[in-house]
Amino acid sequence: MTHAPGCVAITGLRSFVGQRLAERLSARGRGLRVVGIDLRRPWRLERRVPFERVDLTDPAANAKLAEIFVRERVEAVVHAAFRRDPTPDLEADHELETIGTLQLLHACAAAKVSRLVVASSTMLYGPRPDNPQYLSESHPLRGHPEAHCVRNRVEMEGLVADWVRKRPDADVTVLRCGWIMGPSFWDRVVRHFSGSLVTTVLGYDPLLQFVHEEDCLDAFEQSVLERRRGVYNVVAPDALPLSMLLRLAGKTALPIPAPLLYRVQELASRTQTGDPPAAFYDYLRWLWLADGESGWNAFGEPVYTTREAWISFVASRRMRQYR
Amino acid sequence: MSEPREPEPDDDALAPDAEGAAAEARARSRIEGGLLREALDGLRAELRARLPSDERGVDWMALFDSARRRLGSTGMRSLPAEVDEFGMDRAALERARPWLDALFDRWWRVDVSGADAVPRHRPCLFVANHSGLLPWDGLMICHALARERIAPETPRFLVEDWLFGLPFAQPFLTRLGGVRACRENAERLLRTRRSVVAFPEGAKGATKVFRQRYRVQRFGRGGVVRTAIAARVPLVPVAVVGAEEAHPVLFKVESAARALGLPFVPVTPTFPWLGPLGLVPLPSKWWIGFGEPIRTDEVAPDAEQDEILVWRMNEQLRSAVQERLDEGLKARPSIWS
Repeated sequence: MTHAPGCVAITGLRSFVGQRLAERLSARGRGLRVVGIDLRRPWRLERRVPFERVDLTDPAANAKLAEIFVRERVEAVVHAAFRRDPTPDLEADHELETIGTLQLLHACAAAKVSRLVVASSTMLYGPRPDNPQYLSESHPLRGHPEAHCVRNRVEMEGLVADWVRKRPDADVTVLRCGWIMGPSFWDRVVRHFSGSLVTTVLGYDPLLQFVHEEDCLDAFEQSVLERRRGVYNVVAPDALPLSMLLRLAGKTALPIPAPLLYRVQELASRTQTGDPPAAFYDYLRWLWLADGESGWNAFGEPVYTTREAWISFVASRRMRQYR
Repeated sequence: MSEPREPEPDDDALAPDAEGAAAEARARSRIEGGLLREALDGLRAELRARLPSDERGVDWMALFDSARRRLGSTGMRSLPAEVDEFGMDRAALERARPWLDALFDRWWRVDVSGADAVPRHRPCLFVANHSGLLPWDGLMICHALARERIAPETPRFLVEDWLFGLPFAQPFLTRLGGVRACRENAERLLRTRRSVVAFPEGAKGATKVFRQRYRVQRFGRGGVVRTAIAARVPLVPVAVVGAEEAHPVLFKVESAARALGLPFVPVTPTFPWLGPLGLVPLPSKWWIGFGEPIRTDEVAPDAEQDEILVWRMNEQLRSAVQERLDEGLKARPSIWS
């Protein structure tokens, strides 16, 4: 608690991490103010959280952000303004995720913000047949050549790393979260697993690891309130094979041969029907497990294991059907 | 009519409160299952209404119900407790044990010698000659170690990348204790006190043609020695005789391999000709010989930087495997016995 900031700014307030973190931090009270930044005010946000409208793709965003940071005396920034799901608009995604981050970094430098927490993902390591079983934070981010959302984020992390290199005294935390599971989180990964029939790649059954939303938010909260500089994987301490997860949930696997699957998915993404692009299935094919050990040392052992996170997601989905 | 759980003896009589019961049953069925089950219930109610109601004998609907429930529960019953961090499934290994025993005792009639010299109750790095298309040698060495209760934990064998890329091979090998061959994985295994069986010849060993059999190839770039020095575990040379004849590669087709994305397409006496049946290994007589362990705790821990020393130990290891192989080869009367 020695380094707790007085005011925290959160970009991407409408994202899951942004909104839930804003709720958590503002509930703490005790001289901690939260400023939310996004395009629109989320309708469920509590009234006491002040809101500022900034478009990160706007060329003048950096000056605008810096002005807000100085005016509100912001001491810590949480950067969560990323797309939850990739959109068909590649250009806009790049503008927001990569250039938007650059704008934010410039603003932080101008306003002398000392602490920055960036939301990232273990998906950036990339699913590869030649990955070691567990990827540590020092492993290069190889991304995925076809997944533009992953490529943007790899570029984003590169920008952050450069920025840190230039400012050795900056207190920057990058949290690479695994796939988030839980009662209220929703994205395309969760959507893929939410039906009773789940498409898988025939002949492949990789180990998967999740992180429960509460454990993920705990890590964010700690990095805002205390000094946790560095890059951390935020994942649950165990991994389960995909087939076992489906069996646990009573779901049926629909195995499809890889060439067929990729062809069909290619068509689906070209017609922009909102299906996951073909690259997504590589994450259900190859290994990309992250080694969460340094994260557990920094933030404490996660409360939920992969199995428990998965069961909490499945149970909450089931309850939702009967409302 | 649409009471899903207990079929009434006479359900053609429409009681006045049947509608209420039906609504309740629907609500209950909705609670117990998802959309799929709801659809199935609807289908069953429809069928029951159309079937002659005074039918005697087999109640097809009850049978259908019980079959459906059994189908749903088999998955849960065979649900293994856990897999370990490398995806090995103890329950699957237990299920596979009779098959592995049959391969070990009946198919290849494996003889094991020199097991007494292997240090017990501590992890070791076993280094063996590699042969054959499929990692049968790794499976058999691990099985021998587990049967003789040499290793403190179930030992793991390292598998080349290209095998892990093939469909079905990856889940199969992972469940039985295969781990992708790379230094990070071997170090992690040894750190958690599990023995590792490595084949440092790598793809060069697996793709040897028949006329180069039992000629141990270069042991990579000394990664095995480096790993053992860093982990402070002994290196145990292992010779496997007989595995070369299980899949005798007559020659390799390189052009077809490139099209299929494989390192090579082997031609064995059986392989492309008999289709998938050609992948059944031949029942040659096997012999697994463990050699004298090479200690690594005598050298300094930072000796892994000493290239000269590493290469010398690497060559020492290679020749130890080769010597043990030659012994075994000299001792065997024929390939089949």
